[in-house]
Amino acid sequence: MDMDGDVEERRVQARFITKLKPPCKVPHTSIAIPANVTRFGLSTIVNSLLKAGNDEWESQPFDFVIDGELVRLPLEQFVLAKGISAEKVLEIEYIRAVAPQKEDEPSLHDDWVSAVDGSCPRFIFTGCYDSFGRVWKAAGECTHILEGHRDAITSVTIVSPEGADSVTVATASKDQSLRLWKFDTEEHLDQPAKIRAYKVLRGHNASVQSVAAHASGNMICSGSWDCTINLWRTNLSDTEGDLVSIKKRKVKNNVEESQMEGEALSTLVGHTQCVSAVHWPEHSTIYSASWDHSVRRWDVETGKDLSNIFCGKALNCLHVGGEGSALIAAGGSDPILRIWDPRKPGTSAPIYQFSSHNSWISACKWHAKSLFHLLSASYDGKVMLWDLRTAWPLAIIDSHEDKVLCADWWKGDSVISGGVDSKLCISSGISVQ
Amino acid sequence: MRLLMVNIFVFRRKIYDEYNDEEVELTKEETKLVRRLLKGKTPHADFDPYAPYVDWFKWEDAKHPLSNAPEPKSRFIPSKSEAKKVLGLVRAIRKGFIKFDKPKEEPRFYMLWGDDASSSEKTGHLSYIPAPKPNMPGHEESYNPSLEYIPTQEEINSYQLMDEEDRPKFIPKRFTSLRSIPAYENAVKDSFERCLDLYLCPRVRKKRINIDPESLKPKLPSRKDLRPYPATCYLEYRGHKGAVMSISTEASGQWIASGSSDGTVRLWEVETCRCIKVWEFGEVVQYVAWNPLPELPILAVTVGQDVFLLNSGLGNEEIQRKVKELLHVETPTAPEDSGNKVSGWSWCQDDEHEGIRLRHFKSVYSVEWHRKGDYFSTVMPAGDSKAILIHQLSKKFTQRHPFKLHGLPVSAVFHPTRSIFFVSTKKNVRVYDLLKQKLIKKLETGLREVSSISIHPAGDNIIVGSRDGKLCWFDMDLSSKPYKVLKCHPKDINNVAFHRSYPLFASCSDDCTAYVFHGTVYSDLNQNPLIVPLEILRGHASSDGRGVLDCKFHPRQPWLFTAGADSLIKLYCH
Repeated sequence: MDMDGDVEERRVQARFITKLKPPCKVPHTSIAIPANVTRFGLSTIVNSLLKAGNDEWESQPFDFVIDGELVRLPLEQFVLAKGISAEKVLEIEYIRAVAPQKEDEPSLHDDWVSAVDGSCPRFIFTGCYDSFGRVWKAAGECTHILEGHRDAITSVTIVSPEGADSVTVATASKDQSLRLWKFDTEEHLDQPAKIRAYKVLRGHNASVQSVAAHASGNMICSGSWDCTINLWRTNLSDTEGDLVSIKKRKVKNNVEESQMEGEALSTLVGHTQCVSAVHWPEHSTIYSASWDHSVRRWDVETGKDLSNIFCGKALNCLHVGGEGSALIAAGGSDPILRIWDPRKPGTSAPIYQFSSHNSWISACKWHAKSLFHLLSASYDGKVMLWDLRTAWPLAIIDSHEDKVLCADWWKGDSVISGGVDSKLCISSGISVQ
Repeated sequence: MRLLMVNIFVFRRKIYDEYNDEEVELTKEETKLVRRLLKGKTPHADFDPYAPYVDWFKWEDAKHPLSNAPEPKSRFIPSKSEAKKVLGLVRAIRKGFIKFDKPKEEPRFYMLWGDDASSSEKTGHLSYIPAPKPNMPGHEESYNPSLEYIPTQEEINSYQLMDEEDRPKFIPKRFTSLRSIPAYENAVKDSFERCLDLYLCPRVRKKRINIDPESLKPKLPSRKDLRPYPATCYLEYRGHKGAVMSISTEASGQWIASGSSDGTVRLWEVETCRCIKVWEFGEVVQYVAWNPLPELPILAVTVGQDVFLLNSGLGNEEIQRKVKELLHVETPTAPEDSGNKVSGWSWCQDDEHEGIRLRHFKSVYSVEWHRKGDYFSTVMPAGDSKAILIHQLSKKFTQRHPFKLHGLPVSAVFHPTRSIFFVSTKKNVRVYDLLKQKLIKKLETGLREVSSISIHPAGDNIIVGSRDGKLCWFDMDLSSKPYKVLKCHPKDINNVAFHRSYPLFASCSDDCTAYVFHGTVYSDLNQNPLIVPLEILRGHASSDGRGVLDCKFHPRQPWLFTAGADSLIKLYCH
């Protein structure tokens, strides 16, 4: 405490620390700051400190972490609420504020945008209700159109982004099939190239709702309305599977030339309702969320479910990430985004609940690099960015006019989202460390 | 009487009235009267002092003569027997056999302002009810009350607008001194009314039983323990341009179909509210029903006099092939229809909508599927003996429901597990066994007009909604009278629905609300079903006096779809 300070303006001794690179570093000395400053006030202080050290500094918003929690109250109240002693020097870590700086021009589709994948920094891959998949190089720059499905695409994934020029992607559709596609990203064409699938995966008895790829790119898994999860091989040289499929297709007598047929490698049975989301983060573990109100973890080798988290609501989306790549984020038929820690023994209660949305949650995605950041998209037309260290959303992206059906991170600093207004919106300039 | 100082002169008939100081001249009659008085005769010449005696006693009929005998001696002598009795009493008192109550001691002082009710002499009575005391005057009745008691002019004016009963009896006023207080204008009236109250007002001791009204309520479990149930509306299905008359959910819960008064049937994806298909009919679509089999995505739709069986186009090629095969009619009309006009139905192919058009002779109200998806029943309220028909899809065959109905049919539903058929008329519900072809039971609803019926998935309980806003729960094992009647809607109930797997049921009404109830049916036959009201779902707007026209549960989730006259379909989630 500043002993000379008068009664009206209490002051606290604070030291600003950061993990940011040198131009953003402030001197490591403790200073007395008014106790009633808010986050904006702290940001102004840090900016003025930076300006004092560097004349060309352009002020930018910062966010502040004290004891692993983001400051969202006036400092005095925050310290009081957390029970931190005001006597000693407060260590305030500052980070760049996570908020989109720029809204790109929306990329217009012909119909609702139902799925989006941004795991490859070179392009955005979207699925649409007009049954076409699209590849976008940047906002409004469509390079490829994937033709072949007979009904709306429900889910898409990029199978192997590593390949230098050729990329494999997978789409799931309401026509009960999945399709695998291969295209060259480096082509430069005036018109978007039309591509046909190289492999059609049939085996589900109802609409395929979700698809996820293994990290190696050899396998994909898909969840469907027939309550099952199927595992499929993606590689071209899988002759055994093809032979079987051709035999089978001959009976049906409508084989398409130059298209291979694939059969499910194995089926994971256990869910009792539509499997609405699957995720395959590790080698032998698949996570799935279903409308039967459960999140399951499957062992791929044995095909058994290892654990079962009961949620109580029908789930629409699931993503695993965060600390140790183990936290499960899932959202569904209520406005609450829940996060579970399956490593915590003896309880299946969510460790975090974020409830700022107004309607069903349609998508949730962890940031690939950050331990704390994730996004969620909802039918109320908003995409929200969350930090585990605070219960309030960091930023609300309100660029859609109607339901948002899908959202993802792109290039680590952009949020891409597609919705019922047939737009793919890109919000960039998000500085997540 | 005038006092006269008489001064008589025989020769002069004038007298002097000293009192009034005047001379009075007597008339001739008056002088005569005076003269008679002076002679000692009666003043009036007409009076006869010696009139003959008239005996008043009637001598003829008297039984006894009027006796003049002297009082007997015995009357003056005290009785000996009495004296003996008294002597005995005196002896008993002296010996202490007879004891007297101690004389009551009159209290010398009494409470002048005390409560009459507690005074000792009055409590001796069994049922003495003291008159209520008049109210003591308060501060406001002082001649110079504090300012806060004095009403403002506005308040006085507002008193005038009040009813006579509610108006305050006394309006406080200020006077500078006691001297300037006028007489109380209502003094007589007040004391009169007080007297009336004292002796005319009947006083009755009311026997009041102290019962906590809370204890009269049935013990119901908390709503929190009965979760999940639909509570919040998150999704709306927009697209219809007229009132949505009917909705139906597909078996897997991925799709719903809706029929509207704008003449269209729409197919929606539940999850995203996307309308994926529209059929145009150009006439009010009365009813839609999905085939209960997931592998037969066929929709039955009633439009005017027709029932259409439509191919929803869902499913893979194999399913589509099967559906197309089923929805193909080789011979356009039913065989017995040719030449015979009386049997009024015909199966024919409908190329416009790629389905079957099943033509009836009267407008069809509803269509319901059998659980195996082959048979379906249709109801024509105006169809008399052919009001209820049972059709078979695979054979394209129609048969008449063979029983006589007493009253207009409203709805006909198949039992969810057994071969039992429920037909509800406006007053009653009849239960038929289809195998034995006989009437099993008749349920008396006691309602004015039944509007809808729903069967519990276990099949032993029925709910019936009525046009007077009442919902009846029948337990078929219990009696033919309703087990519970729930009067909750102020307006007509349009539809009732049971959930297929959760213990929930719902009713929807023209008052723009839908009620969700918990209804557990126990397998123990001794235990009655538990019915708990859970939630009132609001949100629909009224249109033409109609509110929520249909409600259906999601087949697998505890969600409720409601179709409103405001052309919206809403999904309420848990």
